[in-house]
Amino acid sequence: MAKKSRIKAKEKKGITTVKAMAKHDMLSYDEAKRKKVEANFITSIIAKVDDTIVYEVSTSQFLSKDPFVQFKFKGENKGKMLTFTWVDLKGNTQTDKKKIK
Amino acid sequence: MNRRNFLSLGLGLGAAAIMLPSTLSAVNFRETKKSAFEGSKSHTINDAMTELFGTSKTVEKNVKLKAPDIAENGAVVPLQVSSKLAGKTVAIFQDANPESLVAVFTVPANGIIDYKLRIKMAKTGTVTAVVQDGDTLFSSTKMVKVTAGGCGG
Repeated sequence: MAKKSRIKAKEKKGITTVKAMAKHDMLSYDEAKRKKVEANFITSIIAKVDDTIVYEVSTSQFLSKDPFVQFKFKGENKGKMLTFTWVDLKGNTQTDKKKIK
Repeated sequence: MNRRNFLSLGLGLGAAAIMLPSTLSAVNFRETKKSAFEGSKSHTINDAMTELFGTSKTVEKNVKLKAPDIAENGAVVPLQVSSKLAGKTVAIFQDANPESLVAVFTVPANGIIDYKLRIKMAKTGTVTAVVQDGDTLFSSTKMVKVTAGGCGG
């Protein structure tokens, strides 16, 4: 099973700021070749509040290991659940939830 | 080359596996614009930008890109992209790695363009952030000096 992401979500004056760190080796093709394993890295991250997408990024092999991201969005979201999902090259996926403070 | 074909086949399978029903409305750029991420048109920033947006012409304003002048550790280069534009798509490129497209954000209806992320840079290079607002690409570039290479080197 993939490791959990660490998430912090806080709303202030109608703007929610989320800091999240996904746990992933993020092996680029070069690194994988050197370590003689298969390359594997997060290819997409999506965050939602209820069913609305609030953040979405398609990523390459060049994000750092255990990628940290921060994003903001508008809305009265205090108390709602944020779901943070990433998918990697091999199709593994990890979803974590955090209540917006 | 056989390995390249094998890898792209693997990528195709992986891509097929991540068509989750809940992301039907989401745009997965790695699939729709795969040529921007990999292949012959992904190496230079201009080529990758053209593959992604259809053009590499940008206006250098309205986008703020914060990046360190010197990155001690090329494996973790913190970036911040922000813009007051009502852009729909934000892309980050850099010319220090074999493939220049790093990430593409789709800005949702209530989203704010203010993203932080950490990237790897193999050597000193220029990071370019592009925000697509309507038909225009706005951009900002920043050179980042890397003292220790970021791709495990």
